[in-house]
Amino acid sequence: MKNFLRLNTLFNKSGSDRYKGLKIRIVLLDAVLSLIPLFIVVTISYFWFQQILKDDFRNQLKWEIENTKQSIEYFIEERLSTIRFITSTYTYEELSDQKKVNDVFTKLKKEFPGIVDFGVIDANGIQRSYAGPYRLLGVDYSSQNWFNEIVVRSSYISDVFMGYRKIPHFAIAVKKEIPDKKTFWVLRVTIDVETLKKYATSINLRENDDAFIINHNGIMQTTSRFHGTVLETYKDFKIIPDEKTTVKDFNQSKNDCGICGYAHIKNASWIFVAVIKSTPYAKIPNIFRNELFYITLLSILFSVAVTFMLTQTVVNRIKKSDQEREVAISEIEHSSKMASIGRLAAGVAHEINNPLAIINEKAGLIKDILEGSDNLQKNKDKFLVLLNGIFDSVSRCRTVTHRLLGFSRRMDISHDLTNINDAIKEVMGFLEKEMLYRNIKLELNLKENLPKVTTDKGQIQQVFLNIINNAVDAVEEGGQIDVSSDIKDINTIRVLIKDNGVGISKDKLKHIFEPFYTTKEKGKGTGLGLSISYGIMQKLGGTIHVESEVYKGTTFIIEIPITTETL
Amino acid sequence: MSQTKVLLVDDEVEFTVSLAERLQLRNYSVQTANNALEALGLVYKNRPDVIILDLRIPGMDGIETLKTIKKYDPTIEVIMLTGHGDVHSVKEGMSSGAFEYIMKPVEIGELTSKIDKAQKKIKEG
Repeated sequence: MKNFLRLNTLFNKSGSDRYKGLKIRIVLLDAVLSLIPLFIVVTISYFWFQQILKDDFRNQLKWEIENTKQSIEYFIEERLSTIRFITSTYTYEELSDQKKVNDVFTKLKKEFPGIVDFGVIDANGIQRSYAGPYRLLGVDYSSQNWFNEIVVRSSYISDVFMGYRKIPHFAIAVKKEIPDKKTFWVLRVTIDVETLKKYATSINLRENDDAFIINHNGIMQTTSRFHGTVLETYKDFKIIPDEKTTVKDFNQSKNDCGICGYAHIKNASWIFVAVIKSTPYAKIPNIFRNELFYITLLSILFSVAVTFMLTQTVVNRIKKSDQEREVAISEIEHSSKMASIGRLAAGVAHEINNPLAIINEKAGLIKDILEGSDNLQKNKDKFLVLLNGIFDSVSRCRTVTHRLLGFSRRMDISHDLTNINDAIKEVMGFLEKEMLYRNIKLELNLKENLPKVTTDKGQIQQVFLNIINNAVDAVEEGGQIDVSSDIKDINTIRVLIKDNGVGISKDKLKHIFEPFYTTKEKGKGTGLGLSISYGIMQKLGGTIHVESEVYKGTTFIIEIPITTETL
Repeated sequence: MSQTKVLLVDDEVEFTVSLAERLQLRNYSVQTANNALEALGLVYKNRPDVIILDLRIPGMDGIETLKTIKKYDPTIEVIMLTGHGDVHSVKEGMSSGAFEYIMKPVEIGELTSKIDKAQKKIKEG
């Protein structure tokens, strides 16, 4: 019982660490298993959402560019239509009248802000009438590009240029044929670049964004915020001439990346360009990211808490069942010990009762003689013989009681220096009588000078007793049991217990160390002896195994570690 | 009244000799045997009335010896002698036809009373 308590405390001490380790391992494993998918989902959804927002922003930008382009086109178209209307309404002669021109210009300017001047040019390129802030009457345009263009077209919208006035502007000119005279005249209106810029920047621009117009040669038609002033060359982004509105990502350097969109403007050789470097779509993921962060954090906390609780429950169950098993095993050990003590007691009773019976008869005989005769002298010799017989029997009893005391005393002492051969001989002392009665031959082959081992002698003897008892039960009358000891290697003593009994079949052999497994008839065996022996050998750091052949016999091999210096 | 013929079977010579002498003093005719074969020989040669048989004797198991004797002559009564409380063997012996059992060390009055009861049973048939 003392041993059991000591073992239990030992178990609990190392056991709590074991359960802690188990708990940590389960929690970590479960956390990894449940959190990895969570992280994958969160990461994927984060980038996916960001991509969706960017795509959405890009589509919106495209739509805005399209709108701006249309409003610029509408602006030009409207002015062109007005000028056409004027050329259709008024004759060359009417518009050659300076007063009339002034009148029309005033009205026009009132309706269409941004118009700078207004003039009529004849087929020779000479300005015939003019209304506006500059002195351009009589100026000859015949050598200018736009005039050459208008000669072959019905209308013309120029790029932005400086012209005579040295202020950037662009011109809209409409040619009016006079078929009778086979000649023509041109009505020309110039428009302030600022008006054009107003249209270009009507798109929704943020802090870092820019929007402007260039011509097909990359010359800036409006002044931009960051990409140069009017008539400078725009180089930053390569615009591929295309009829469709295009939106593209650009990534020229770490600080110079964003989205560039452009659209061609009909009836003028211009391209509307928007360079968007602000990233409003990135702000939304920030909000999303925060929410995602809290959701993830909550999920992790929840998952860890659930895992922890589950693990706690599972580990507690395991712990409880381990403890129950320990208790059950120790109870079995105890009952087995009791059974072996019972068996021992029966043997001892027999061994003591026999000499007691002799004492009883001899003392009884002396009494009988004394009662029947008064002549003590005559019976003196007989009395002496009888008394010697009594002393011999007492001596026999003493041997038995001493042996028993020695055996039981060691039951509770653990780890003393033990001579295995002596331990075997003591066990045989209990069994030799039974073997003698059953005519069983015992062959002891104990190697001399075996090193002493530090082990629990009582427990080792219990193992020997269990196995030799089994051997005695297994052999027929006249059978043989060999018990031998030798040194297996420098660390191990080996004890072989061999019988030539009935043997154990292979299917039974694999069960024989299981608790409650017995092949003995009911009432004779508890089925615990071998399982207890197995447990004892494990506790003592040794091993026990068995080899058997049916009808030939069984050999138990017990290996005991030598844990102390040799003798 | 003729003497009751008792056969005392035990492996302890000292025991059989002393007990035999005590029984003889009490007017029983006693033979002793120290193993099963010797006992069976005496049963055959000089049929006893009552056998006092130890359950653990060399050569043959006490129960086997009992069965052999009862098979040979069921009218011989057997009193089993046991040195320890082997209840299993005692039960088996009683069911195999033993008349009585007695524990060692033997109280002589108890033994003679059981021998007499056995003898009475034999006489009554």
